[in-house]
Amino acid sequence: MPFLQHFCEMLYQSSFGTMLRESNNAFSVIESVHVLSITLLVGTIAVLDLRMLGLILRSVSVSSLARSVLPLSWSGFAVSVTSGFLLFWAEAAKMYVNPSFRTKLVLLVLAGFNALVFHATIYRRAQEWEQQHISPWRARVTAIASLMLWGGVIIAGRAIAYF
Amino acid sequence: MSLHGWFIALARSPLGHAMQTSQWGFAVVEMVHLLGLALLGGSVLIVDLRLLGVILKGDLAITISRSLNRLLLGSLTVMVLSGIALLSEEAGKCYYSPAFRCKMALLAAAVVFHFTLHRQALVRAQSGKPALWSRIAAVVSLLLWLGVGIAGRAIGLL
Repeated sequence: MPFLQHFCEMLYQSSFGTMLRESNNAFSVIESVHVLSITLLVGTIAVLDLRMLGLILRSVSVSSLARSVLPLSWSGFAVSVTSGFLLFWAEAAKMYVNPSFRTKLVLLVLAGFNALVFHATIYRRAQEWEQQHISPWRARVTAIASLMLWGGVIIAGRAIAYF
Repeated sequence: MSLHGWFIALARSPLGHAMQTSQWGFAVVEMVHLLGLALLGGSVLIVDLRLLGVILKGDLAITISRSLNRLLLGSLTVMVLSGIALLSEEAGKCYYSPAFRCKMALLAAAVVFHFTLHRQALVRAQSGKPALWSRIAAVVSLLLWLGVGIAGRAIGLL
């Protein structure tokens, strides 16, 4: 058995995983927290992306919006990863073979990579372009990629339950 | 026709029929509903945190709100339309669901509050330290919208 699959089986059969899976309320409550924290994460990132596309908040500079919004996005990220890991723990053996779960993880990695590239390159020179109503094309490309990837994370995440 | 009659009519409409019989219909509309939620949540949060004086203090609350209003109302429209489609799948059952009733009451309160007192607070908010009533308006707005979300999540569970 591959190592990852073995690890998932172990989590699934652990007493904590079993307790979560068989609980009446704990799983649903964690799921609700997960949905709300994703709203916080993706909603705030989308606001920044739409600003870079010049669709909203043109009077606010990109870096001042980023400074306001990114702590919220990170809080949402921390809560959604924690709650997501607990949900995974309860269903790990099923998640290992779930195509939607795998897709979601790949999209998450891509979304993270996209954000990393943005911060390491274009955003470093933000003071040169942040006052512009519409950001340079490379910033717009990352914004569109971000909207698509995070949207994909939500879609794939919802689809997990249907497999 | 009674309210219950309207719910039954919705369930028996072509839309309800399509939602009940298609294999992926409900899932796809649910995804649209969630994407709308992310955008609505983001815009509500930014406006209310500005009203609270937590972020974007350099701009007036009303400027932030005006700029985000289209996104807020646009995503709300997407959520209401996708919500009606989701409702049509099991309208008869939702009519009796306490979570659904609670969600609709909170939604009505949130929308009315948005267009009345919340709007007044935005118009009257000056730059600088926010007044007590603007902070109260922001907190009430956040709690109402959060309540809509939590009650909505509960529909599938209760």
